[in-house]
Amino acid sequence: MSLPVTTSAPGAASPAWRGALYLLMIAIAVVSAFPLVWMVLSSLKTPAEAMQTPPVWIPGTPSFDAYQKVSELISVGRSFANSAVIAGITTAGILVTSLMAGYAFAKYRFRYREVLFAITIATMFLPPIVTLIPLYRLVGSIGLNASLAGVIVPNLANAFGIFLMRQFIAGVPDELIEAARLDGASEFRIVFTIVAPAVAPALAALALFAFVYHWNSYLWPLTVLQGNSNDYPIVISLSRLLSYNRSAVNTGLVMAGATLAVLPPLILFVFLQRFFVRTITASGMTGQ
Amino acid sequence: MTGFRKSIVVMLAPSLGLIAVFILVPITLTIWLAFTKWSSQTPFATATFIGLDNFREIFGPGSVGRDFKGALANTALYSLMSIALILPLSVLFGMLIHQAELKGANLLRTILFATYMVPMIAVALVFSKLYSPSEGPINQILGWVGIGPLPWLSSPDTALVSVVLLNVWQQVGYFTILIIAGLTQIPQSIYEAARMDGARGPALFGFITLPLLKRTLLFSAVIALINAVQVFEPVALVTQGGPVGSTNVMTYHIRRVGIERAQGGLGSAMSVTLLLALVVTVTAVFALARREERR
Amino acid sequence: MTIRPLMGLFLGSALAAFSSVAWAEDVTVSFLTHWPPETVAKLEAAAATYAKDHPGVKIDVRAVPFGDLLTTLRSQAGQAGGPTITGIYDLWLPELARDKLVNAAPAANSADVSTNWPKGVATAASVGGTVYGYPNEIDVYALNYNKKLFEEAGIKEAPKTWDEFYAAAEKLTNKDKGQQGFGMINSWAAGVVHPFASLLASNGGALVVDGKPQLDSDNAKATFDLYEKLIKSGASVATMGTADANTTGPFLDNFVSGKTGMIIMANWWESALKAGMGERFADIATAPIPVGPKGDGPHSISYSWMTVVSDGASDAEKKAAWDFLAWFNGPTSGENGASAMGDLLQSMGILPSRTSDVAAFSERLKTPFLAGYVSALSEARPFPTVLGGQEFTESLQGHIEAVQFGKETAAEAAAAAQADAVAILEKASQ
Repeated sequence: MSLPVTTSAPGAASPAWRGALYLLMIAIAVVSAFPLVWMVLSSLKTPAEAMQTPPVWIPGTPSFDAYQKVSELISVGRSFANSAVIAGITTAGILVTSLMAGYAFAKYRFRYREVLFAITIATMFLPPIVTLIPLYRLVGSIGLNASLAGVIVPNLANAFGIFLMRQFIAGVPDELIEAARLDGASEFRIVFTIVAPAVAPALAALALFAFVYHWNSYLWPLTVLQGNSNDYPIVISLSRLLSYNRSAVNTGLVMAGATLAVLPPLILFVFLQRFFVRTITASGMTGQ
Repeated sequence: MTGFRKSIVVMLAPSLGLIAVFILVPITLTIWLAFTKWSSQTPFATATFIGLDNFREIFGPGSVGRDFKGALANTALYSLMSIALILPLSVLFGMLIHQAELKGANLLRTILFATYMVPMIAVALVFSKLYSPSEGPINQILGWVGIGPLPWLSSPDTALVSVVLLNVWQQVGYFTILIIAGLTQIPQSIYEAARMDGARGPALFGFITLPLLKRTLLFSAVIALINAVQVFEPVALVTQGGPVGSTNVMTYHIRRVGIERAQGGLGSAMSVTLLLALVVTVTAVFALARREERR
Repeated sequence: MTIRPLMGLFLGSALAAFSSVAWAEDVTVSFLTHWPPETVAKLEAAAATYAKDHPGVKIDVRAVPFGDLLTTLRSQAGQAGGPTITGIYDLWLPELARDKLVNAAPAANSADVSTNWPKGVATAASVGGTVYGYPNEIDVYALNYNKKLFEEAGIKEAPKTWDEFYAAAEKLTNKDKGQQGFGMINSWAAGVVHPFASLLASNGGALVVDGKPQLDSDNAKATFDLYEKLIKSGASVATMGTADANTTGPFLDNFVSGKTGMIIMANWWESALKAGMGERFADIATAPIPVGPKGDGPHSISYSWMTVVSDGASDAEKKAAWDFLAWFNGPTSGENGASAMGDLLQSMGILPSRTSDVAAFSERLKTPFLAGYVSALSEARPFPTVLGGQEFTESLQGHIEAVQFGKETAAEAAAAAQADAVAILEKASQ
């Protein structure tokens, strides 16, 4: 563990050492990208190639049959739309509720503030399986089961978002808020027109985080949708390709389905990642 | 003042209301059910209070107790191994990207972080193919350099580690970002001063970087712990807790007992124990860190 | 000629006639299944045909992945909005009946099931003499072997006894080629326990007799010994037998790619083997389960799937559901006297259990691969469906795997499995 900390000492590292670091960097990138590359390659193989030993790396004639078949078996468009609705609305809700609560926790002084905040943060530690059945019954009792609303509503607020927003809003100057109050702005107006723009990168990062998390979530939608496959998001439709007696032919299908499911969050990531990095850097999320 | 109180309520009600209804109410139910005998497929009204019997059973010598303690140990081991691999790797990667001034560092950061965006179900499916002993590319590559073939997910001795590696692959990019964030907050002037005093690579790392990253590392460890405890999809989709229960982690075991076997009381007692274990661990970690800091 | 087939015909037509009566009000019957998308499409097509004659009834198919069916069942059974009809594995029925979540079949349907299905299958769809569902898929086990590997090893015919079986497994083993004689499954409860139980049954034993586990009987100890012997000699390699939640993975891969000489597997694997092997599927042959020293002949265990009706559904839904099931599983809904369910199962290579379906598909079932299974049906022993059956199975799985991976000796496993099983079944029946 002796990486040279060279930021302001050019020439401190020898060319050989730098060469070694580049090699290391390439190795890390290759290992990191390999599973995804393999996934895409596998989706283009014929079933025979998929079953071969030793494994075939590059498909002889890349075939898009698997994608064709996937679109016949599951309604890909519908599943994407469901995923987009679930992840989109949930994300929007999280942004709003987190912004408001983060503002209150950061800028208001009131009794039990720390206790309330601590309880909120504690819910972050809860593995979802622990409350799966009680939550499902609860959602059923208010009539939201078997619907996209049932997937979305319980997730419209979360502790991580509140935590992140509080950290950021704490850094927004009080004078800015006071000035708005003197101008007669309502608290709502202040949150959404003064505070929100000031923490825009953090909101973008939270949006990415929430969107990806809810795009990818599996167990809750599966449970609450009650087998209503018209409402399935793409990850659950993908798992339906794993039917229990068609394994061999389905390797390519599953890989094609996985490739499709991965694309939207990756594309979003490419656009939003710089906000994410910037936010984490500035957020005190690192405990600094 | 009433206006102020009103806006506190208005600001907090949406989020805390949702959290109270959809998290605190269910967890309260779970805690109550832990002291009852209850078939999970029936209404809560059918639950009958049995005191601490469920806890006695899950810590008892019977097969229920053995399986539960095994699952608790597997989750602990899984979390420990994940943290033990993720933290050093993310520090290494973070320094490589942030401090080594290499061209393409941002590209590496993007590639590393991208894996965090991939749905766990897709990760699990792809890795089950990569790990395949005869048809998987990993054993093929290892074969080229004369290693293997390794059994990966097929042996009780290696299966849990294999799931850990999958987890590390997916998460290390996220933690690398956290470390980079921590590194950017270390003032350059400290390094410069130390260099003036003749400190070089390892010394700079040991005396400046690491101590100043401590809070970041602590935060990362807690997040990594939360994530590790929640591992579910790779076990549910690929290993089913096997072979010989070696990958039977708590989340999967709770589903198996509390839901699949319909033993809701037992499953709830396991959930409550897991939560207590988490609370105790995290509190202890923070308390230790605070004591360290005071020194 | 007994009266049973005639009665079945009568009941079948009576139900069919009854079922074409229009419904007074609109009813939606939901049908929860773990079937793959292709099969769900067939079910929807059958439901559409049914709906033509029953304008007021809508059949709404719900599908979940196989690995999530039991979770879905447990969380939704008895809940408002839960499925009206659910396809279940017979092992799960006792808990559903105990919690009064499944509707006892009306007299006509109950008589339909007891008349038109083999006795063992109808029994598995009943608890305490009450019929709760329409059985559909039935599965039995047989020895599958690779004829090419047998030829290479100089083995003339399939082993009939445990001695021949062990000898064949040793001959088929070739460490240099990474080839094992006999493949044992791990990580998948039914896949681990069913072959073991079939060998045990073929050694004159049973897992459970009159509700009491028999895992430390001499017959069971000998079965554990056989496993241990195969592992110790290297004729079976534990790490080659892992299966994932979709019952695929190395266990299947090794047999398909000719690295495993023999396995004991169920008939429904035909489609997986065909898909994986292509033309080489012709190399695979089926033989009866080898008979142990204490056995009186080959016995596979059998298990079945069935469709049950939720007790919490409205009366109109229940009535419509039973009517649909009678039609769907009856002789008028499919081709040539088969049921629509039979057609659907056949499309997946699965054995139907209704007596008239077996007759209707007799030609199709004469393939060398399936014939071996059909002949095993009459001597099969139903897997014990008892309260706590799932937990019992998973516990036994653990001990069998412990023997496979050398974590327990055969004797330890037999004793521990018995102790656990006694405790589990006792607790479950309280």
